[in-house]
Formats: sequence, structure tokens, C-alpha cells
Amino acid sequence: MGAGPGRVVVSATGSAQARRTKPQGLSRRALGRVFLSPSVLVMAVIALFPVLYAVVLSLFAYDGRAQTGFAGLANYADVLTAPRFWASITATLLFTVTSVTFEFAIGMGFALLMNQTFVGRGVTRATILIPWVIPTVIAAQMWSILFNVSPGFVNNWLGIGDFNWLGQPGWAMFTIVFADVWKTAPFVALLLLAGLQTIPADVYEGARIDGAGAWARFRYITLPLIRPAILVALLFRTVDALRVFDLPQVMTFGQFGTETLAILVRQYVVQTVDLGYGSALSTMTFVVVLGVGVAFVQALGRDLVITKGR
Amino acid sequence: MMATMRKQRQGVVERRTATQRWLKAGLLSIIVVWCLFPFVWLIMTSLKSGARAMMSPSMFQGPFGLGNYREVLAQGFAYNLRNSLIVASMTTVICVAVGALAAYALIRLDLKRQGAILGGILAVSLFPPISLVPPLYTLWRSLGLLNTYPGLYIPYTAFTLPLTIFILTTFFASIPEEIEEAARVDGATPFQSFRKVALPLAAPGIFAAAIITFVSAWNEFLLASTFAPRSLAAQTVPVAIAAFTGTDPYERPIGSITAACVIVIIPMIVVALVFQRRIVAGLTQGGVKG
Repeated sequence: MGAGPGRVVVSATGSAQARRTKPQGLSRRALGRVFLSPSVLVMAVIALFPVLYAVVLSLFAYDGRAQTGFAGLANYADVLTAPRFWASITATLLFTVTSVTFEFAIGMGFALLMNQTFVGRGVTRATILIPWVIPTVIAAQMWSILFNVSPGFVNNWLGIGDFNWLGQPGWAMFTIVFADVWKTAPFVALLLLAGLQTIPADVYEGARIDGAGAWARFRYITLPLIRPAILVALLFRTVDALRVFDLPQVMTFGQFGTETLAILVRQYVVQTVDLGYGSALSTMTFVVVLGVGVAFVQALGRDLVITKGR
Repeated sequence: MMATMRKQRQGVVERRTATQRWLKAGLLSIIVVWCLFPFVWLIMTSLKSGARAMMSPSMFQGPFGLGNYREVLAQGFAYNLRNSLIVASMTTVICVAVGALAAYALIRLDLKRQGAILGGILAVSLFPPISLVPPLYTLWRSLGLLNTYPGLYIPYTAFTLPLTIFILTTFFASIPEEIEEAARVDGATPFQSFRKVALPLAAPGIFAAAIITFVSAWNEFLLASTFAPRSLAAQTVPVAIAAFTGTDPYERPIGSITAACVIVIIPMIVVALVFQRRIVAGLTQGGVKG
């Protein structure tokens, strides 16, 4: 849709002449590269370099921080045969599947509700944003205190005495999932609400006149039409859940079956340092998360493509 | 007969609407309680003073006072607030500026392999931060960037760039090309067209991206706890709160923690209330294509 040499374009001042002024400054493509380069530079340094660096490190053997020789793929073999690694994969997957499922179920409910017009809609939306703006670490501290055996706030509400939420395998994971769902279901609701709002009301009217009940309307109209919104939200939430760190670190310190991949990596890179093993672990985590992300993007396909001048 | 049938039908519709309205109100109040209750608990607990109040499982057990807030400020929390504010603001300014340029370039400026670049940017947003921390820590240490502001806002910018670019490309793409054509015919260079036409029109998107970036930077914990763990020169709020110790080294000081949380959350809630419409607009336009 460019203005070729033979076209007459109406200018902003209304004169219907194609002016032949030579533009000063850089050409569009050169300017494009200039515009793009700061972003690419920053992302390459911060994101790309560490990944490559970790891969290199992982090919060597280390005693703590001191390099002791080339190790080839030995570190990776160690990682893949370590029960602790597989335990963390299980924990991470368990967390991801349960939290994302609940976030979507509850978020969808919230979104459907908020899609109706009612008085106080703005205030409700602002309220929904509150869990999102609270720093995750603070939410984690809060729920950690609430679930703690002493002074036992949750135990008091439920009237169950001395139940140890944070200190048992199984229940420890529950508290973390709970805190994550509390914080993120509203955010998912917002994303889904966006999709819901693109469905025109008369589509529902037509279905209602045709005799479709609420559940049928939901299943055959709503769900298919907000599929792009669901998939985008699903992608971002799943990838975030796979990388979870703040919640288990603050609430349970990664104990009692809540040691996720991120916490395990930190253990070997920051605490009991073994640079070779830790880097291999780090690279494996990266591969897993990126793999899931790419799989999602393939599935989403055209839904994510940004089209010009829509 | 038609009149009675019509009246009956009207009656049915009205009854259904009333029930529906009660149901809606009930569910709405559930949402409000869900979101607000922990916050109310935070405020109540932060105002408690004395061991008896602290150890009591009831939210309303007094006595109440401002002692926790004094304690928090005495620990230098004001410095942490300052640090978080500076880091988050720098991140927002740089990220939005750099991201707007990149987004505009991708949409308007004839770059080859647009799809591949977008894909690459998306891939960067998938990297697990924990994997990036150790090499960056080593690099930062040798560059002397630990416990400094740039040591934080440079990585933060990198992490929030993908979403910012994502949001802004959608906004730039929705500006009709005719407007910029007209500017070009009037003699504007591509850069002038960007600055004087595209930017003002994409203002809502820029605003939304700015808010989202600010909130992400404000909340970030992993990098902050690794790159600026202790020094008050750069320690941010989330790190400080996680590190609070009270008089008893084995018990978490609930009073101080909740007081600090309230101090942090109040401005964020004000922001949410004031800007809720723009935030929703930005999220919906940027993250979803219907």
C-alpha cells in the first residue's frame, strides 16, 4: 500500500498533489535496523549470552568453582540419573498442571461474571487487579503466615486445631498451589474477559431465541470464539508455572516435596556450588521450558501472528 | 387471550431476572472477598501490637498501634522503597523507549524476516530466569555491577522487553497507514512520522506497557536477591521483606512483615484503582487477538 510514483495521495493539509520532496534522514530500512538494534542488543546480552555460557560451562568438570577438566556430556548423564532431578520434574509438573487448571476454571468463572454489565464494574475490575499488583514474594509471605501452625489463622477459621499445612509432603504443595491460584486466577480472568468482550451480544441472542440453554451457549459459542484468548493465556501461564521459584522458596524453602526445577538449579549454582553440574541442570531446565513453549506456539500457529494494518 | 399470555411471559422474565441478579451479586461478593480479604488481614495484623495480639489466631485481637510501622522504618525500609522506585522507574522508561522503537520498526519499517524476529523475541521471554542468573552474576561481579541500579534495571529491561514489544506492535499495527502516508507526503521523514504521528496515536498502548513493566520490575525477586542482596544502596523491597528478622531469630516477625507489606501495597492499589481501565485495555489489546 505504498505511495508509488504514479499515485496521487491526499496530504494531511488537503492538497491533492503528490509532492516530490526527497525525505531527509535515513531510509526506512536503515532506520528500522537502528530502531531495532538496542532491543536486540539488550536481549542478546542478558538472555542469550548466559545461556551459551552455561552450555559451555556444563561441558567441563568442576570441583565447586574450580575447573578440573573436560567432561563432555558426563554432567548431563549425572543430571539425568539423579533421582532428585526427576523428583523436581515431578514437583514442577504437578504444580504446573494443578495450578493452571484451577486458575483457568476459576478465572473463566470470574470472567463470565465480569462480562455482564453491572453497577460498580470499574471497582470490581480494580479489585481483581489487586492480587496481581501485590509482589509474589509478599503474597508468599502472607499465605505462609496464614497457613503456619502458629498462630494458626487458617486452622482457626476451619476449626481444625493443629494441622500442619506447610510441613507435610502433599499439603505443602497444596499451599503453594493455593497461593498461586489466589494470585493469578484474577489475572487469567482479565485475559479471558478480553476475549469474551469480542463476542457480539447478538450472537448469544440468536442462540437464545433458537432455544439454546446456558451450557450449550457456553460450549458451542463462547468456547470456540475465545479459543485464541485461552491459548495465549495458557501459553504464558504454563511457561510461568514451569519456572516457579518465589512461592516455594519463601513458603516452604523447597522442602516436603516442593523442590521445583528452579529451586534445584539454585541449590547447585548458588548454595552447594558445582558449576559443571549446576550449569548442566540449568541448561536442562532451559530446554524443558523452551520445549514446552515452542510446542505451544506451534499449536497456536496463526493465532499469534501479528498482521499489518488490521 | 394474547394479552394474558403476554403478561404471563413478562412475569416469568421478571422473576428470572431478579434471581439472576441475586446470583450475580452473590458471586460478585465472592470475588471481592477473594481478592480483598488477605489484604484486610494484612492491615489488621500490621496494626497489632504486643505478643498476645500477634500470637492470637483471631484477626481482631487487640491491642492496636503503629509500633510495627515504626520498627519497619527504623530498619531502613525507606531506603528500600527508594531503591525499588528508582529501579522500577528506570526500567519502565528504558524498556518503553527501546521497545517502542523496536515495535515500530517491526511493523512499519520494511524489515526482512519480521516473523523470525518476532519469534526470537518471544523465545527470549520463555527463558527461565534461574538459568540466566549464574553467568550474569559472574559477569556482573567482574564488571562491578553488583549492588548497583544498572545491575538491576538492565536485566529487568531485557526481561520486560518481549511483552512490551508484543503489546506495542499490536497498537502500532492498528494505526491506519493512510495517516502516516499523509505525513510522508507532507515531507516528514520516517523518524518524524514515528515521533509526531505514530507515537501519540499509540499512547494508550504505551501507557499500558509502562504500567505492566513497572509492576513487573517492582515485584521482581530472583534477580534482586542475587544481584543486590544486602547493601542498602540497592536492596529492593521484596528482598528486604524476605530478609526481615525480628527480635527472635527463629520466629518470623509477623508484625514488621505485614507492616512492610502494607506500605508497599497501598501505592500499588491506588495505581490499580486509578488506572484500571487503561490496564485492562492494554492487557486485552496486547495479549489477545480475538
